[in-house]
Amino acid sequence: MRSLVISILLISFAVIGNVFALNAVSLEREKLRKEEGISLVMPSAVARIAALEFKGIFADIIFSRAMTYYGGKLIRKEEMTGEEWDWIYKNMALATDLDNYFLDPYYFGAMNLSWGANKVKEANALLEKAVKYRDWDWTIPFYLGFNHFYFLQDNEKASFYLMESAKREISGSLIATLAARLAYQGRRTENAVIFLEEILKKTDDNTIRNSYEMRLNTLKGIFFLEKAVAVYQDRFKKQTEGLDELVAKGIITAIPKDPYGGKFYIDKDGSIKTTSEMR
Amino acid sequence: MAIISFDSIIKDYKTGFRKKKTALKDFSLGIHEGEVFGFLGPNGAGKSTAIKILLNLIFPTHGRAEILGKGVGDKGIRRFIGYLPENPYFYDYLNPLELLKFAGKTSGVDSMKIQERTEELLNTVGLWNERKRAIRNYSKGMVQRTGLALALIHDPKIVILDEPMTGLDPIGRRHVIDMILKLKSEGKTIFFSSHILQDIERVCDRIGILVNGVLVRVIDIKSEPLGKPLEDIFIEETEKAGRAKE
Amino acid sequence: MIAIWSVASITFKEGIKNRVIFGIFIIALLLFAATTVVTTLFMRDIVKVAVDLSLSTVSFSGLLTLLFVGVNLFGKDLDKRTIYMVISRPISRSEYLIGKFFGLVMLSLTVVVFLGILSALPVIISKNFYYYSEARFNWLIFFLAVVYIFVKLAVVSSVITLFASLTSNSFIALVLSLVTYIIGQSTESVRLLLASQVEKIEVSPVVSYMVDAAYYIFPNFSAFDLKTQAAHGLSISPSYILWTGLYAVFYITVAVAIGTLAFRRREFP
Ligand SMILES: Nc1ncnc2c1ncn2[C@@H]1O[C@H](COP(=O)(O)OP(=O)(O)OP(=O)(O)O)[C@@H](O)[C@H]1O
Ligand SMILES: [Mg+2]
Repeated sequence: MRSLVISILLISFAVIGNVFALNAVSLEREKLRKEEGISLVMPSAVARIAALEFKGIFADIIFSRAMTYYGGKLIRKEEMTGEEWDWIYKNMALATDLDNYFLDPYYFGAMNLSWGANKVKEANALLEKAVKYRDWDWTIPFYLGFNHFYFLQDNEKASFYLMESAKREISGSLIATLAARLAYQGRRTENAVIFLEEILKKTDDNTIRNSYEMRLNTLKGIFFLEKAVAVYQDRFKKQTEGLDELVAKGIITAIPKDPYGGKFYIDKDGSIKTTSEMR
Repeated sequence: MAIISFDSIIKDYKTGFRKKKTALKDFSLGIHEGEVFGFLGPNGAGKSTAIKILLNLIFPTHGRAEILGKGVGDKGIRRFIGYLPENPYFYDYLNPLELLKFAGKTSGVDSMKIQERTEELLNTVGLWNERKRAIRNYSKGMVQRTGLALALIHDPKIVILDEPMTGLDPIGRRHVIDMILKLKSEGKTIFFSSHILQDIERVCDRIGILVNGVLVRVIDIKSEPLGKPLEDIFIEETEKAGRAKE
Repeated sequence: MIAIWSVASITFKEGIKNRVIFGIFIIALLLFAATTVVTTLFMRDIVKVAVDLSLSTVSFSGLLTLLFVGVNLFGKDLDKRTIYMVISRPISRSEYLIGKFFGLVMLSLTVVVFLGILSALPVIISKNFYYYSEARFNWLIFFLAVVYIFVKLAVVSSVITLFASLTSNSFIALVLSLVTYIIGQSTESVRLLLASQVEKIEVSPVVSYMVDAAYYIFPNFSAFDLKTQAAHGLSISPSYILWTGLYAVFYITVAVAIGTLAFRRREFP
């Protein structure tokens, strides 16, 4: 009987002590975390070996750890330093090395690194990896195209990725249109023609087809004229003065019609444009 | 013609790096069809060693053992042998029904016969009411009884028992004696080791005494009366062998 | 044949009644429950996380079963001499070993079928909770990955059988099997690492020969790991299935055959 009482007392005492100690430990851990800051990120090659067959779970853990860190900063309304953003990037790169197809780290990294940290290069590096692996997902090249257009003002690249995106997204008339416009301004007429033909193959809806076909015909006209200009320059070793010159010199028989009702002309920078601006 | 024969068997156990223990020294013995042979000897004499050689569990270093005229390595002969190891230990999450089914199947008994024999044997060893309990919940004696049933499930011609009475209560021991006598009446050959001299005296046709790996004496108690208690003979032989060694 | 089948079925029965299996099942169920909670912490690829966790649970439970129950089935036979009740029957040592291997395979099959079906639950739940339109998931590939977990466990069983026949102690067999599992999971990654970094770091030819040797000696478990494919609905070609299947069969044959060679002259004093 006495030993029972002693045991119970001892256990109760130890349980209370345990709770106290653990609370103190939490505080100590908090301090420790602050001091050590962000931890080192394991090299991908090592992680891939160490994760054995549980690479997917490892990727999940690494991703959610970084997300928790970022979330904590947001809640405490603290600014992320450049070093911390680098850490986030490395974690996302590691998570996507462990699972090449994992969308969340691509998405989280790309969105926050470009908008939040102004690290567009890193964001795009992640997205480029994603484009390679998630080769069915139209959203990835779309974001990448957007980053090139908006942050880097690189219309040519933007158009390239938007085309890729439109190719993947079957009913995406909007992306297609956007891509075509960028392509046109970025002197990638030929790509835009191919791309629109590709999209047309995938489109059943008649009204959408019509708008595509108009755009396609315009681009074909521009492409036709671009080639003629190139031939002209090749033959006469000088700039073309106007499109009529091409007809006069017999390179083409007639200037094609713009389906939008505009007129084709040679702009100051030498590119072919139309007065309708494809609207 | 012996049904079981040991021919000049030497068995060395490796006990360490370049060290060995010789458990059987030029051991020869023949056991005839239909006889009950009792195997006696002090602890560590080599009785279990000899029995394990018969079951091909260990291999003789020299010499040859045969059963039914074939080398003991021939697995076909084991269909005709029933064996009870000393201190048997079985798959203990299973119950005797499952074990007996396994034993019967592998010894070539058909399912109908297995069921019949199972009921009969479990009643004989007194485990019928406990038949659905896992062996791990059995007492030592109950495990030993299960072992006896297992040894006999396939109605073997030759029964080899290593200390069948250990761990049994007086009633259980009595059952084993009765069982051996019944098997003998059916014409089976029985070879068993034991330390319980009065049981041996009661059922055996012949007795072999093994001391230190040497078969010092074989007595045919049916034709030559002992004249004095078996216990005296046993101690005498053991001491004689001990002196000879010195 | 009867001998092998009988040994396999008694091994299976003894294994499945082991309480450790029950414990492993409980842990697996808890992990499945945890999966449904954990997935809500992610943004888009929720189904992927659910697939990762539930398939890993199946694989891990199977592995625990083999390492703790499977190895012990051999251990008890050899340490406590339950093997006497087997090889005192008309059963050769080779038949015993092959039967034992099939017993372990049956045990793995049961665990994989039972947990494999249950593992679909967290996936179904998370799919209904949120399914991102650009996520790809396919039940066929999911269940193919489950089948491959079984194939992997069959190979692990053959490794355990081999080590049980070579060593006299079940603890050593356990450690060796575990080490083989770990090496087998990583040889492919190590090889890729060496191949990709040859220019950057000097790898001595000895090391790369050793890695190559390990790649051929130890089972390449990565080949049976289709969890990523299941998580993202990536297609798997028939030739992949053919070759990995053949690889498993050949590896198992070699391991068990070497085992029977070693076991043929084994004594049980
Ligand atoms: N595995 C082993 N390794 C080494 N020596 C052994 C081994 N098994 C038995 N021995 C030795 O062989 C000798 C014979 O042993 P055995 O078990 O045959 O005796 P036994 O006559 O059956 O004795 P008991 O009456 O105690 O059962 C003993 O000296 C024993 O120490
Ligand atoms: Mg003995």
